Amino acid sequence: MRPPADLVVETDATFRVHASLYTDPALFDAEMDRIFGSAWVYLCHESELPNPGDYRTSVIGRQPVIVSRDQDGEVHVLFNRCMHRGAVVCRADRGHSNYFRCQYHNWVYDSRGALQGMAQPSGYPDDFDRSGLSLVKPPRVGTYRGLIFASLAEDGESLQERLDDVRGYIDAWCDRSPLGRVTLPRGNHRYSYPGNWKLQLENGVDGYHGNYVHESFSQILERSGERRRSDVTRARNEVGGVNSAKGLSHGDGLLERGSGMLGTIDFSQFAGYRERLAQAHGADRVDDILTQRNVLVWPNLFLFESHIRVVRPVSVNETTVDNHPTMLQGAPDEVNTARLREHERFFGPASFGATDDLEIFVHVQTGVQASSAQWLDMSRGMHREEQRDGEIVGHSTDETPQRSMYRAWRRAMARTNREAVA
Amino acid sequence: MSSDAPAITRDEALDLLYLEARLLDDGRLAEWLELFTEDCVYWVPNVVEDAAREPSIIYDTRTRMDERVHRLTQTAAHAQSPPSRTQHTVCNVEVLAADTPGEATVLCHLVIFEQRPGDDWQVGLGAPRWFAGRCEYRLRVRDRTWKIALKKVNLLDRDLPQYNLTFVI
Repeated sequence: MRPPADLVVETDATFRVHASLYTDPALFDAEMDRIFGSAWVYLCHESELPNPGDYRTSVIGRQPVIVSRDQDGEVHVLFNRCMHRGAVVCRADRGHSNYFRCQYHNWVYDSRGALQGMAQPSGYPDDFDRSGLSLVKPPRVGTYRGLIFASLAEDGESLQERLDDVRGYIDAWCDRSPLGRVTLPRGNHRYSYPGNWKLQLENGVDGYHGNYVHESFSQILERSGERRRSDVTRARNEVGGVNSAKGLSHGDGLLERGSGMLGTIDFSQFAGYRERLAQAHGADRVDDILTQRNVLVWPNLFLFESHIRVVRPVSVNETTVDNHPTMLQGAPDEVNTARLREHERFFGPASFGATDDLEIFVHVQTGVQASSAQWLDMSRGMHREEQRDGEIVGHSTDETPQRSMYRAWRRAMARTNREAVA
Repeated sequence: MSSDAPAITRDEALDLLYLEARLLDDGRLAEWLELFTEDCVYWVPNVVEDAAREPSIIYDTRTRMDERVHRLTQTAAHAQSPPSRTQHTVCNVEVLAADTPGEATVLCHLVIFEQRPGDDWQVGLGAPRWFAGRCEYRLRVRDRTWKIALKKVNLLDRDLPQYNLTFVI
């Protein structure tokens, strides 16, 4: 393994990423330690555990956790690992319980992770020290507008500081609900693909591929009379306006397009929706709120128009993605139902859109086996992007957001484990 | 619906299910569409089976089915180039007693074997996959022919991560 800092190479005019980032298992292990071992990692949404005693499992990198809500309503993140002999204490992915019981020797923990007892306790002296036998917790947990994050770093930026630059976009996304509150339905769309996790990150904010990878979908829209292909192509090529690709600090990035430009839901068709938004958030914010954005919150979260997307690296060439459509509280029912149907149409595992993206990830994962060709080029638009209000703003087809995420990759990977934790 | 509309026979039900399987496996998707009523739903639900409250894997009206067929037959859908070879295998067929003349409910199990040809050294090509589901068909007589008004497939792994379900299930 070369030093990771040498694997993302930037000059004034060029930006290159080494192919081993997609293929080297040792690099993958290092990513889990240095990126997922230090960043604020998204775990789940508060609406998935609405009531005291509710829980949901998740992962921080590869480490299994339980996110539980205690009797006082407080959220706890607990490593799913018995303090006795290491077995998991929870096998369901969600549920309701006031305790977690290890099935090996019946050690029992409450929803705060405190050890409550074990089978045959007479095997331990009365003064046996149980103080260090609560379930281990990540050092820091934070929530912003329903999004629950944890960090394995003891110190560093608070979640609030971490989200500073991307906060306005998160707010706009939440405020598509007239009540400022989104919830997740029970079911979601899950897909797995035999490729590296970063392929999904790159693609989710890539405005360059749409005319080609989603040609099939453009043809369907033209056939249904929803959008002319020439209009879609023109919109994707358009310079200026709200169309842009942005690179933010912390590895975040976004792809931004005017309301209804490419999405197939025309929100103005729903009587009263825009009015409810204007009433709740102010008329001057409605266009901003309805702007179509794909927001990448490094390293594992996307906020898309219709859903939360969580990227779970499994191995160097194996990734699971959870797409949780969001229900906009306070919006007309027809808006939410239409969003579900459009979500199935473009983003689901049997859809007409995301499935073609996944196919391309697999093309890349196969192609980079040709390791004699060492580099991937991500220089597009370096000559024309601009610094604006602390953001790097490029044409919507530029690789500006991808550069932002790989700069964050390089910063995190250049640290040693000790520094990452310190 | 005329009150003397016949109840479906087991043979008629089997013939329809086998015909559907054959049309899908032969890629005769335009003919497959014709097996359905105009107001049909082709539904592959998620965990709750409530299409108003959660995303389904597929919730196709006739219009959306028509789009699906168009995508598979007329457009460059990367996820189906090369296209899947499938073998739809239907078994455990039960024809339920009908409450309404001219309507029928048929249950069956479905196993699909799938494979994509091409450079089988490449990721995603060559490797055989299988999919299992339990189906419910609601059938209706239209012009003296039994048509499918609802095809619902509960996949065994519907709440687990899926990969490339872009062929017709």
